[in-house]
Amino acid sequence: MESILHNLGLGFEVALQPINIMWIVIGGLLGTIIGMLPGLGPATGVAVLIPLTYGMNPATALITMAAVYYGAMFGGSRASIMINTPGDASAIVSCFDGYPMAKSGRAGSALATSAIASFIGGIVGMAFLVFFTAPVADLALKFGPAEKFSLMLFALTATITLSEGSVLKGFIAMAFGFMLATIGIDGQSGAIRFTMGIESLQDGIDFLVIMIGFYAIAEVFKNLSSLDVRYDVDSKSIGRVWMSGEDFKRSLMPMLRGGPLGFFVGVLPGAGGTIATFLSYAIEKSVSKRPKEFGKGAIEGLAGPESANNACSCGALVPLLTLGIPGSGTSAVMLGALMMLGVRPGPVLFEMHPEIAWGVIASMLAGNIILLFINLPLAVPLVQLLKTPQRIMLPLIVGMAYMGTYFLNYSSFDFVLVSISALAGYMLSKLEIPIPPLVLALILGGMTEQSFRNALTIANGSPAIFVTQPISLGFLVLAAISLVYALKRHRKLMQMI
Amino acid sequence: MNGKWTALSGAVFAAVLAAAPIAAHAEDWKPQRPIEIIAPAGPGGGWDLLSRTMQKALTEEKLVDRPIIVTNKPGGGGATGWNYLKGKEGQGEFLAATSPLLVQNNVLGKSDLTYKDFTPLAALMAEWEVVAVRADAPWKDGKAFFEALKKDPSSMHIGVGPALGNDDHIQFLTLAKAYGADPKSVKFVVYPATAAEQIPALLGGHIQAITISLGETLEQVKAGKLRLLGISSPERTAELPNVPTWKEQGVDFIFPHWRGVIAAPGLTPAQRKFWDDTIAKMVKSPTWKKALDNLGWESFYQNADEHTAFLAKQQVEMATTLKEVGLVK
Repeated sequence: MESILHNLGLGFEVALQPINIMWIVIGGLLGTIIGMLPGLGPATGVAVLIPLTYGMNPATALITMAAVYYGAMFGGSRASIMINTPGDASAIVSCFDGYPMAKSGRAGSALATSAIASFIGGIVGMAFLVFFTAPVADLALKFGPAEKFSLMLFALTATITLSEGSVLKGFIAMAFGFMLATIGIDGQSGAIRFTMGIESLQDGIDFLVIMIGFYAIAEVFKNLSSLDVRYDVDSKSIGRVWMSGEDFKRSLMPMLRGGPLGFFVGVLPGAGGTIATFLSYAIEKSVSKRPKEFGKGAIEGLAGPESANNACSCGALVPLLTLGIPGSGTSAVMLGALMMLGVRPGPVLFEMHPEIAWGVIASMLAGNIILLFINLPLAVPLVQLLKTPQRIMLPLIVGMAYMGTYFLNYSSFDFVLVSISALAGYMLSKLEIPIPPLVLALILGGMTEQSFRNALTIANGSPAIFVTQPISLGFLVLAAISLVYALKRHRKLMQMI
Repeated sequence: MNGKWTALSGAVFAAVLAAAPIAAHAEDWKPQRPIEIIAPAGPGGGWDLLSRTMQKALTEEKLVDRPIIVTNKPGGGGATGWNYLKGKEGQGEFLAATSPLLVQNNVLGKSDLTYKDFTPLAALMAEWEVVAVRADAPWKDGKAFFEALKKDPSSMHIGVGPALGNDDHIQFLTLAKAYGADPKSVKFVVYPATAAEQIPALLGGHIQAITISLGETLEQVKAGKLRLLGISSPERTAELPNVPTWKEQGVDFIFPHWRGVIAAPGLTPAQRKFWDDTIAKMVKSPTWKKALDNLGWESFYQNADEHTAFLAKQQVEMATTLKEVGLVK
């Protein structure tokens, strides 16, 4: 304990050098801007800025990259809230309630909530990173394929319970998602599945393309009917970027719950921000006294996942710092850049280069505070966007959505996919089929399938492994509970009609 | 002022006229536009690091006088990026990173592309392949491990990633065969996220061994968490002198996981010569050598002629190996 505080002190000595503070500010600002553009997520942001780090000493380089990473996380949710266009998968959930809040004139409050929740999530994640890195890293090693499969199954069933109205429609959406996820070359057998001879489909469908279609462009279609309506909002009230006391009271518990949840999910290799944010949303909805408000601008539905998302990025650093293994795409990029500078992250990083390992941890704490101050004033010009007439705003959104799509894979075939998914998204919303289970099944489908097969390979074909492993069994029980809960709630709804 | 400009542009014009016949001469091609190095995968992986290391070395050693950009074009096990390069016929400013996957994907029938669709320029570096087990595992060398595998294949699960049919997979199948085990009986567990999933799975005891390149395991071995049963290099490496080669253990198997660089198809002899000379200078430069050291990569340089011949040989050998181990029917 004392040695941890001593090390943290050493870290702050490094992080608070003026040059490093300067890079936190620059990196955070650049990251925020990159994160706001659809299709440009944290991994791309860090990759683009790697040349900046060439002349730096390793500690400054890693601090800068971590700042870009954080900035992009903060920025990603701006676009979700303002134009319903998530910058990456972990910002999807911020659309659910953030965008309705903006539409109903509470954009300032939504932006402030997201910045403050991100900040609190970051602080909670940091605290866990400082004090629980070693035990959590050990726990994460216990997660084999069976445990991962059951965790993902739980995340998926929990999302079904979120669906408005019919549980059956939730399942239909999930089935669609799984079907889309099977398209492409199967890594295990090498078989090419459901590509209909189209070579561009061999790698599978990039869920970000589908997401941009479903959320951003489909939303434009929905707004076409109200082309001349200006949002009837008082510019004074949207301009006020702060949370009211009532807002804060409602958000506090979701933020504090989202933090630890995000951290633990972030530690598991490959699971990441998507599962963390969806699970946090599911939890908030099921414990809320006002579940009906979710999806229509419930502040809890924004605060919890935003907090979980940032805590998750702290969790993703645990495997990087303890095992030298990247826990997410972004930390893979950071690892590559560090190696080019001659530092090999690994189990001995903390002993060999404490100034780097602890410097980064301390800089993240400083970075969270600095980003909060960057993001709150930045929200003021952003909310003015809402005053833009729809006739100008909607074409702009479509343009940005297509641009972002192209940046993802530099593939013109993705234009076809994004157009089809925009139409499909519009149809699904007319049919009242919920989109979240579809998107989550598409993102997790490949991983779920591979974990299932790996678990069976390890158990030499016996499915008993899913119930004999205690952690796996625990998640299966949770999945069953959430399913029963959904069915019960559904029956109640039917009786009311 | 005006007169000066006229005089100046006159001089430039004359110089251009004088230079024109020389430029047409075979010796004198130089990149005319910004150079693009295509990493046919996302940021952070081996191809990306190789492309960025080349960018750094060529720029810092001033070997080219045009700016160099690296573009990531992930997809299709490299096919997306390589297809893009294939479309740049005759344009000497376009290069791409490659590896044995260019050959394997073709032999496995996943892709129509072969090395013949491009202008191979050089092999640059190699990583050696290893089989790793937990430090507290009972098997001390290749023989003990594969004996155990032969006895009860269902008790041994081997982690491989990101998909079957790559160098890691081929190494293990070849070794199993050489030690007298049935390659078809080996239980492979596929990890799409490669080392990020494989190493925790091994440390957590979910699988018994992984087949992987040396660099991914280096720090874990130094920290005393993993043990390497053997390495596919011709001699023991300087970094880990305690790890025996497969050859020492009686298996005649030297297997570099190399990466190299190809250019667009249809380059003129002058364009090819420019890059052949430039890359030869690059691999001797201190920037390049230091970068390889930092990344833990072995130099594995072949010039354009050597590399083209090497690829032709690999194409034949790979088809035989993949057939022997049952991946190609």
